[in-house]
Amino acid sequence: MRTIRVDETMKREAVRGNQVMGIVAAVAGWVVPGLGHLLLRRWSKAGVYFLCVGGLACAGLAMRGGIFGGGAEDLFDRLGFFADLGAGVFYFFAHQIQTAGPDIAHATGDYGTRLFAAAGMLNFLTVLEAYDIGRGGEAR
Amino acid sequence: MSALFGGLTHFGALVFFALVVSITFAFLSKRDVMERLKYTLWAFLAFLLVAVGIGWLMYPFTQ
Repeated sequence: MRTIRVDETMKREAVRGNQVMGIVAAVAGWVVPGLGHLLLRRWSKAGVYFLCVGGLACAGLAMRGGIFGGGAEDLFDRLGFFADLGAGVFYFFAHQIQTAGPDIAHATGDYGTRLFAAAGMLNFLTVLEAYDIGRGGEAR
Repeated sequence: MSALFGGLTHFGALVFFALVVSITFAFLSKRDVMERLKYTLWAFLAFLLVAVGIGWLMYPFTQ
């Protein structure tokens, strides 16, 4: 009887998660899109999020979109930097992926800037979900 | 990669964006496979409809 109770408690703990797991999943999910869900054994979500955020970020870079740097001067640039930062590893390696450099003088480059920022914001949403699942919230 | 995305038109970029964001939103908000499919389709069409609608509304101001 006691063994059963312990098992049930352990199951509840595993499902419930904790604050530390939530933070670890959130940070991992931010650095590599989908990694937080991978740690939480949400395989399909991890794959889909990596492909969607990565696809959007790579498309933005391939279209020679601009990447906002940390030394932003006005509010819009700071917002752009915050949005871009959300793409995690795609932001940190943006200059290696985008070998030709940005070209925002053309419309395609401008669309690329928006796509990359959208990838970052999308990843922030997945990070919030990873945090919620990790700390034991109701995951869909 | 540049060959794949570099030549995207405005509409092509819109379709790609709408598809990717719809799929992500579906996985974020729905649990069942059929629900996710339905939501993806609905959000994708809504993105396209709203974008084309807003473009159509702005058209007179370009004249």
